[in-house]
Parts: sequence; C-alpha cells; structure tokens
Amino acid sequence: MTPILLIIPLAFAILTLLLPRNWARATIIPGLVLQVGAAVLLCIQIYHDGPQDYALGDWQAPLGISLIADGFSVTLLALTSLVAALCAVYAQYFLTRYPREQRYFWPLFWFLLAALNGIWLAGDLFNLYVGLELLGLSAVGMVALTAEKTTLKAALDYLYAALFGSLAYLAGVALLYGAYGTLSIVQLSEMAAANPTTQVALGLMTVGLLLKTAIFPLHYWLPPAHGGALAPVSALLSALVVKASFYILALLWLDVGALAVTVNAAQAMGFLGAGAIFWGSWQAFQTRQIKMLVAYSTVAQLGYLMLLFPLAIGVSEAAAHLAWQGTVLHLLAHAFAKAAMFLAVGTLVLALGHGRINDFGGVSQRNPVALFAFGLSAVSLMGLPPSGGFNAKWLLLQSAIASGQWHWFVVMVIGGLLTAAYVFRVFRVSFVQTAKHDIQETHPALQFSALALALMAIGLGFASEIPMSFMNLTDFTPSPGGSP
Amino acid sequence: MSRSLRIAAAGIVAFGTLYALILAVLNAPQMQVNLPQQVALNLEQSGIDHPITAVLLNFRSYDTLLEVAVLLVAVVTGLALRERDALTAHTEQARDPMLHALTRRLLPLLLITSVYILWSGSYAPGGAFQAGALVAAAGVIARLAGYDIASRADVLLRLGLALGFILFLTVAVSAMFGGRPFLNYPEGWAGSLIFLIEAVLTFSIGLTLISLFVHAPGDSSPRGGDDDD
Repeated sequence: MTPILLIIPLAFAILTLLLPRNWARATIIPGLVLQVGAAVLLCIQIYHDGPQDYALGDWQAPLGISLIADGFSVTLLALTSLVAALCAVYAQYFLTRYPREQRYFWPLFWFLLAALNGIWLAGDLFNLYVGLELLGLSAVGMVALTAEKTTLKAALDYLYAALFGSLAYLAGVALLYGAYGTLSIVQLSEMAAANPTTQVALGLMTVGLLLKTAIFPLHYWLPPAHGGALAPVSALLSALVVKASFYILALLWLDVGALAVTVNAAQAMGFLGAGAIFWGSWQAFQTRQIKMLVAYSTVAQLGYLMLLFPLAIGVSEAAAHLAWQGTVLHLLAHAFAKAAMFLAVGTLVLALGHGRINDFGGVSQRNPVALFAFGLSAVSLMGLPPSGGFNAKWLLLQSAIASGQWHWFVVMVIGGLLTAAYVFRVFRVSFVQTAKHDIQETHPALQFSALALALMAIGLGFASEIPMSFMNLTDFTPSPGGSP
Repeated sequence: MSRSLRIAAAGIVAFGTLYALILAVLNAPQMQVNLPQQVALNLEQSGIDHPITAVLLNFRSYDTLLEVAVLLVAVVTGLALRERDALTAHTEQARDPMLHALTRRLLPLLLITSVYILWSGSYAPGGAFQAGALVAAAGVIARLAGYDIASRADVLLRLGLALGFILFLTVAVSAMFGGRPFLNYPEGWAGSLIFLIEAVLTFSIGLTLISLFVHAPGDSSPRGGDDDD
C-alpha cells in the first residue's frame, strides 16, 4: 500500500512530460483524485492497524531501505495531497495566461509531490538526502519557470542555498555512517550516543537544514524566490517545501540524536526562531509589494517552528508533549493559511495587474472572495480564535508556561501582535472605495480554491483532535531527555 | 563589512569546521553494524557479482530510482529555460577537416568504451552512470564539431530522456502485480533485468547530459517565444 503514494506522482510526472499539452491537462484531475484517495486510504489503514514498515525490494534495513508510515507521516501525506490538489486546481486556471510555463509546470509539480511524499515516508538518512535533492531541484525549476531576470537570479540563489544545505547534510550523514555503520533511522536512534562524532554530525546537518528551511539569519534566499515565483508555485513552496527540511530537523533533534543534543543548543535554536519572528514581521511591515509581504510572513511563521526545540528539550514530559502537539498543529495551520494567502494574493495581483500594496484600493468590492480568503488565512496566522493557528499558539503558550520558560511566552505574544500589524496594512488600503486602476475579471475557480484552503485553516480550529489522534500513533514523540 | 574582515570571518568558520571534523573523526566510536559484510553475504541473491552495482541497482535501488528522477528534473528545467533560436546558431559552422577526421575516429571509440564500461558493471567497477557520462562526452564532441544532435525538444527527445526512468519504474511496479514488494526483481531474473535497466539508463543519462549542454542558454540573447509541440 505504502509505495503507491510514490508511484502515483512519479507516473503522472512522466505522463505530463510526454503527452501532448491538451492530453496532459486532462490527466491532472484524475491524478489528483488518485493521490488524495491513496493518502486517505493510507490514513485509515494506519489508524486501524498502527504504524507500518515497508521493506523496498524485500531487502530489510539496514541492507535495504524501508519506508515508515506512522501517524505523523500520514498526517503530512494527507496535508500534502490536500494542499497540492487545491493549488493544482488553481494552477490549471492561472496558467492559461502562461502557455509556455504550463508545459513544464506539471512534470515539475508531480516530481515535487513525489519528493515530498518520499521524505515523509523515508526511514533512511541517505534516502532523505536523495529526497531533499529531488525536492530542491524541482522547487528551483518551478521558481525559474518564468525565466525573467529577477526570478532567474532568485532561482540561482535558491539553488546555491539548496545545494550547500544538501552538502552539509550529506557530510553529517557520512559521519554518522562512519560511526555507527548504518543509515536506518530506527537503528540510529537506538545507537546514537552523546559523543563528539554524533554532535558534530548533528551540527553540520542542522546548519544545512536551517539554510534549507530559511531560518533567520539564513533566510536571505526565501523572499525573492517565494515572492517572485508564479502564485501556485509560491503557495506550494511556502506551504510544503520548507516544511520538509524542518521535518528532518525535528526528526534529528528529537529522535535520532535525542541523547546528543543539549539544552543550551535547543535554547539557541529558539533564539534563531525569535529572530525570525521579529525580523520577518518587521520586513513584512516594511515592504511595498504584497507578494513580498506574504513571503516575509513565511520567514516569521517558520520561526514559531523553531520554538519546538527549547520547549520540548530538557523539560517535563507533559510540557514537551504540549510543545510537540502545538508545533504539528502550527505546521498544518500555516500550510493551509499560507497556501490560501499566496493564492488569494495571486488572484488580486492578476486582477489589478500590479502588486503595490498602497494601490490596492477597490479590491474589496471587485474581488471580495479573494480578499475574504486573505482575511481568513490572516486570522489563522495571527492566532485569533477560531482557527488552527489559534489552537497551535494556545498549546505552545501552555507548554511555555508548563516549563516556566516565560521568555518564549513573551516572544509568541509579541509575534502575534506584529503579524496583526503587517496584515492590517493590506486591509487599511483595500477597503478604500475608489479604485485607481482598472480591475480585470478573474476566473471564479481562482478565488474559490484560495477560499477552500483558508476555510481549512479555520476548520482546523474545530477539528484539531483529528491530527492529534494521529500523533498518538507514532513512537516519534519527544522524550524528556537532553543532558544539561 | 570590509574585505579583510570578511576573509577573517570566513577563515574562522572554515578552521572551526575543520577542527570539528577532525575531532569527530578521531572520536568515532566502534561500528556496531557491518554493512559490507551483509552485502557480501547477500551478493549471490542479488544477481550481480560486483558489490557496488548490487547496492545501487538492487539493495538500495530506491535511491537510484530517485537519483534518475533528479537527473530528469534537471533536464526538464533546462528544457523549460532553453531558447528556441540559440539552437541552430552553431550548426552551420565551417567544417574543419582536421576536426572532422578526428571526431569520426574518436566517436566510435568512445561509444565502444561506454558499452564496455556498462558491461563490466556487473563484475567490476562501472555501470550506467559512468557509461552514460562517456556517451555524453561523445555527444559533446560531436556537437562541438558541428553535428546537429539532440537540438530539437520534440516528443522523441523527451521520450528518450525519460526512457530509462520509465523502464526502471515499470520493472519496479510490475513486481507488485505479482504480489511482491515494490522494486523487487523476480527470482532468477535479477541479473538480466538489472543489465537491461542499466543499458537503457546509459542511453537516457547520456542524452540528458548532452541536452543540458546543447540547451544551455546563450550569452544574452532574449528568450524565445512559444513552445513547440
């Protein structure tokens, strides 16, 4: 059952590459239905039978590679399928204006999906490296699609960052293999002890993954890449791609190297996160272009993910559990909300013909649905109830109180206020009655796919138990270890 | 930041990393798992006599499948960025008789060597990636000598690029119809299937590398118009 989720995107990547343009377009919807269906089926199977291993080629790890489907990975698989499906519906209508880009968007889209699914399911550190390479290259390809000077430069910076990140990660993998003789995550998490080799390996991998996740101060490549790409590409990159390297980071710190990480290192990760929250929000508040605002918002929101490390390492089991649940919920809520926001903003930019925030007057009347989708996703990003973002921040705040780490409590509260500050810049101008420009008609599917994603971000506030119950189906929960 | 300060900062980071790496290597614990031994024990079942090819195409064939996908993504991106007009620009070069004669003698040699490297992969170092690189070298030389190859991005070229991946994926999936796991080879067929996959991969990898060379955008000409299919 498990490898179906890899086979579907790989097969459709080939189909969309080889078929003539109209045929290729006709395969998109069946492909998405298959993909979402397979993800849901796997979720049900895991819910009933518990976590599962799959030995590829019938070779057991460590000789072969195994796929691991547990509660966390199927949650991420379901998230990926849902967000990707709605982005694809949007892209079908959005790309009619970009006939040349459309030809190569779909193969890259499916390869990106295959890479994401591969990373969620991987049970092997080297296989994660290959997954990261596939993910990085297809993401860079999608950024470069429009081949304009600015996007090409952004894509090149992204490529260098992704390659350097991969190499640093690979160096760490080599050190771990040299020390323990295996690449299997399950085996390594049993063996890896607190010695200099493990710590240096973890350090190298962490630097590489921080660069790939665009955590402050290594975020320089993200705003031009995410802000300059086509709207459906930006949505996929911000919602899903940066989460993949964070997922590996969490896996390394809380599972594989749980015994080797120190409380001080975890606090340092938290300070990077706080820096990301403040710096990203401040830049979002400053920028003139709406897409750059959303991109800098991603930089800031990724900072909250970093708070997992100080909140879950070296604290009581209850506090660590809360931090873990809050982080997973934040990851999901941000994926839905940020995809919705990029799609909504893409529609508004398409209608207005420009992205200058100060000239957004009149969109409230002509594009109410897109603006409403933007507003709903902003509610989740700010952490206002009822939304997935609110539940996530609530759990994180509770965790900070439970472990007595008031400094992180303050960071999160200020972060919420800063988010409100930059989001309301858009509303302040968009409700001005008189439009300075012509506002073009856009296809309703564009607005409604954004709205669907925004409603999911809100709906997550009412349905938080579903991902939480899946999280109990994994042995990958933080242990209250960590040497002081 | 001034130049000397930047150099100093880079130097500190570089030496710090070097120190950490030396520390890590010197303090490496005793390995608890002996994978080379496990490979040797299972070599007979893998259908291949050389451990590296056995690891790449059988024990860890999933990694290789994804690596081939990475190459395909690279060339798809290259095709998306290529310029239409830049392709015909160099094909009308004057044919230097010396270059022409040298190329004609060099190409068959390169192709024969690549077939040898491919074949030797089953019992000695070698295999699809190395052989594909040789095919690509032959293609680049031919291209530089003015032969027009792989310059059209039509369906045939795309099929050629994807062929190795398609075959690999088909073999991998077909195992599941027989009730065996993904990427498993049928009993007794592993050796021949691996050779077939490697042969087709050689062709596709060679074509991929040639395409990346041929379709690289020129200096500063504006990018071309619509796609051609």
